[in-house]
Amino acid sequence: MSAGVGVNLEDLWIKFGDFVAVREANVNINGGDFFSFLGPSGCGKTTILRAVSGFLEPSQGNVLIGGNNMKGIGPNKRPTALIFQNLALFPLMKVWENITFSMEIKGASAKERRKRADELLDMIALTGQGDKLPSELSGGQKQRVAIARALCAEPDVLLLDEPLSALDLKLRQHMRSELREIQKRVGITFIYITHDQGEALTMSDNVAVMRAGVIDQIGDGKTIYNDPNTAFAASFVGENNVFRGTVKKVIGNEVMVSTNRSGDLMARVSTFNQGKMKEGDDAMLFIRPEAFSLAPVGTQGDHFVTAKVTKEEFEGNVFNIFMEGEGGKEMKVALPNLGQSFESHQGQPMTLEYDVHNAVALPAGVLATE
Amino acid sequence: MKNFSLMRISIWVYLALFFSYLLGPLVIMSVTAFNSPGFPRAAPWECLTFEWFSALFQDERILNGIKNSILVGFGTVVLSVTMGLAGALMLTQIWPKLRATFYTIIIAPILIPGVVIGISTLVFWDRVNRMFGLDADSFLSNGLFLTIIGQSTFIASYCMLVLVARLQRYDIGLTEAALDLGATHAQAFRKVLLPFMRPAIASAAVLAFLASFENYNTTTFTFGEYPTLTIELAQKVRYGITPAISALAFIIVLLTVFAALFNEAHIRRKELVAAARKSATVDELESGKLRLPGFLSSNTAAVVLVVVAMMTIAVVGTATVYSPQQCIADVKEQKRLETEVRIQELRQRRADEAARRAAEQADQAEQEPAVEATPKPSNNSGFGSVFDPGALQDDGADAPEEEPAKPGNNSGFGSVFDPNALQSE
Amino acid sequence: MPRFLKEYFNRNGVGLGSVMLGLVLFWTIGLIILPQLSMLDFSFRPNLPPPEIGGPKDLYTLENYKYLIFGPEGGSQDYNAVDLRVFYRTLIAAVLVTIFNLILCYPIAYYLAQTKGNHIRVLALMLIIPYWINEILRAFALRIIFGETGILNNVLVGMGVFDTPFDFIRNDIALYAGLGYAYILLMIFPMYNVIESLDRNQIEAARDMGASWTRIHRRVVIPYAKPGISSGCTMVFMLSAGALAAPQILGGPSSLWFTQLIYQQFNDNSDWPQGAAYAVVLLVTCILLVLALMRVFKVNMGDIGK
Repeated sequence: MSAGVGVNLEDLWIKFGDFVAVREANVNINGGDFFSFLGPSGCGKTTILRAVSGFLEPSQGNVLIGGNNMKGIGPNKRPTALIFQNLALFPLMKVWENITFSMEIKGASAKERRKRADELLDMIALTGQGDKLPSELSGGQKQRVAIARALCAEPDVLLLDEPLSALDLKLRQHMRSELREIQKRVGITFIYITHDQGEALTMSDNVAVMRAGVIDQIGDGKTIYNDPNTAFAASFVGENNVFRGTVKKVIGNEVMVSTNRSGDLMARVSTFNQGKMKEGDDAMLFIRPEAFSLAPVGTQGDHFVTAKVTKEEFEGNVFNIFMEGEGGKEMKVALPNLGQSFESHQGQPMTLEYDVHNAVALPAGVLATE
Repeated sequence: MKNFSLMRISIWVYLALFFSYLLGPLVIMSVTAFNSPGFPRAAPWECLTFEWFSALFQDERILNGIKNSILVGFGTVVLSVTMGLAGALMLTQIWPKLRATFYTIIIAPILIPGVVIGISTLVFWDRVNRMFGLDADSFLSNGLFLTIIGQSTFIASYCMLVLVARLQRYDIGLTEAALDLGATHAQAFRKVLLPFMRPAIASAAVLAFLASFENYNTTTFTFGEYPTLTIELAQKVRYGITPAISALAFIIVLLTVFAALFNEAHIRRKELVAAARKSATVDELESGKLRLPGFLSSNTAAVVLVVVAMMTIAVVGTATVYSPQQCIADVKEQKRLETEVRIQELRQRRADEAARRAAEQADQAEQEPAVEATPKPSNNSGFGSVFDPGALQDDGADAPEEEPAKPGNNSGFGSVFDPNALQSE
Repeated sequence: MPRFLKEYFNRNGVGLGSVMLGLVLFWTIGLIILPQLSMLDFSFRPNLPPPEIGGPKDLYTLENYKYLIFGPEGGSQDYNAVDLRVFYRTLIAAVLVTIFNLILCYPIAYYLAQTKGNHIRVLALMLIIPYWINEILRAFALRIIFGETGILNNVLVGMGVFDTPFDFIRNDIALYAGLGYAYILLMIFPMYNVIESLDRNQIEAARDMGASWTRIHRRVVIPYAKPGISSGCTMVFMLSAGALAAPQILGGPSSLWFTQLIYQQFNDNSDWPQGAAYAVVLLVTCILLVLALMRVFKVNMGDIGK
């Protein structure tokens, strides 16, 4: 098992007839990384996974694993192992037979396989359950068996197709850390696809945000969260408040945006878009809920926002305040609970202050829909 | 409510009638297998005999037919199941525009009359034979080959239907997972798809064998030198019916019942085992010491199966030692005596007729002196003096000897020969 | 290589894919399509002794079809009344048998499909067992029963209904009973399958609203069960029209079946092309009738399947 086999997608296009599922994808995944493709359903992430694993031949471009072009090489000959969304455990084989299937293919004896199965069962904390059938296991147990089966094949790259989507919340959170731990221990490259940005951020070294076949941004979690490339990335990852308007003035790395409802506001241009925004461009200004702090009501300025409070929630660690926003969508402000007293401002205007550095201006674009 | 029970009753009556229509002929036919008369009949019942069964086992043509049927059956099973499986797999993969046409083509043989399939097979392969310049002895004219080919044409369609039903529940992800883990296509097919299809393949095979075994319409054109059992039976039924055929039918019915019971028992057992496994602990499973329910427990079908099996063995045992000769002799005697009685009755009737006619004649001939009004017993009858009591007494037949001993007569013929009886008239 | 072929071999592997493709082509083309075309072609040829086949005398001709309609050349009649009448009768009889079967089996199918309980399993088994028994033997059983010395006559004469045994066979009653008997399972099964999937609640709802049983069947069950009904009727019709064993065993001298004519042409007369022509006529007529029926009842091919 080599630790550190990288995967490269070069100018990858995947078309089904006239429909373009993946458009000009260029991705470099480092060996040993936990890499996620993040995006809503239908964005093409599953398609990319199938192209990497060998079930699809790209229409154009190359898939390289460990520097070798995989063109024309079938899924059974690639050094990859895929964990399917519905797990695809062989229903008529016992757990230990499932796990050691790849060994059976290579002709290993039953004794060897049994031994290896026991080792892997220990690793996934299912010791002694080898003789059960998949139908006799719980969801989480089946999940782990699927992982063990894939690992037993000693792949260079492990591909995971939304493996946690069928699990309940608690289990999902538990499995997140488990998967990360397994990856660190085993050291092979993980390529993970999901629509849950919480998973992507907590587990991955790097994330690729995708929409409608196009990769909007590749970077580590912090970068994507703080410095998104596109309006979609800004709205899809985490919660974000959007202010629409036009660029009034460009001042170095910052812009003044004349917003539709909140006057002129200053924001920082994201790194990707620096130098690309001009006066008169349609723009969107993004401020995270946690970037706001309370200010005296009525204060005016280029980093103050005033609006009427519609709803207040106490969530334990934060106060969530919802205010009238534009286009019928509410603005959300999250104030940390530091023990301060808090009077209700329901129905009344409230003024918020933010640090310009924490506001991001981006060219107007498609937002993530919920 | 009243309407409802009336409906219930009529339903049950209808069911009873229906099932007697369905099963009645079989029951009656089974009965004729054991009855001694040379033409199968259930009534009147004469003697219980097993001779038709032994006649059956000695019939060369029937045994040859069975052999051919089995050969054809095996060939058909192999060809039909493989073609059906290929068709089923192809059906799931072919793109939608072609799928409807493809489906129609492979379903068509079910609708085409068997006769037409037989003829077309014969005509086509004869032509192929000719095209290759082969003569009438070639493999392509062989009755076995032609029959297998002809039958498989439509039996594969049935197999395909059975297999497709199962295939639709197959998760293609399983094949992909196998490939992904390094298997070749052949390995994935063998290790993942085939085990999944196994129950359907078994059903299809059984279906194919049964359909092949009992096929007549198609086989009747293609059998050539190799008549199957069905063909032989048809010949016999049309030209020489004996209860040996009933015997064969009965055996088949029995085998069928056995097979059905066995199948039921097997299914039930699987259910019980699965339930037991579910509620077992990990330890029990691992050590293989899982206590499985006994073979007969809560399995009615198995119990019935064992009972029927034992009964059959008992009957077969008695059959080998039982000889119906005595019974047949008795029946023959009985028949002879009955015939005698009938003859006697007929004679009596004619005697009465004659006497009546004589009386009429006497009435008509008024010129002649009146003859005795009372009819004289049978002197004018065509039988001479047979019925003359006096004549019999001189005969020294058995009857007068018995007469002093018993007032009535205990010969089988009542008091016909009793002179006293006649005189007292 | 065309793209779809490439994808096909990718998906199935070269070895396995070739085997599959080979089998399917052999079956569809070699066993289904070509023989039918061959028979069709053969029916247009004259009846030649084997050495002359393919020779100069082997020209296309309509004489076999003409024979069916007009009878032998120079014959005494204008039309081949005998054969045509047989053809006509076969079809009518097949239709009658189908209708009889439908009426007989519908209640059974409904009962089996909609009732619950263990006895259903047993009943279904009792239904299937007769069909594992050779159709020849089944016809034979009926022959015994309907024969002069059979049970039926014994009972009827004994009860005084008839004086002498009634010749069921000559009067075709045996044949119709036999045909009806033969295909019961094939009528019940498709109907059962469809009716079983009918949600019981629909019927309950209808009853709740006060519908009578006839109305429920007419408006709720039958429309739903149409695919099953048409499936069953199609099968029974085709099988009855094409039946050979029952007419041979149970038929009297006046009830010749069209298939028997075909049989005679092949075996007794050795006139294969003639037989082929008759077979083609039978096939085409049956298919046309079935297609017409399907159109009338608005059902399509995909519904026919067990």
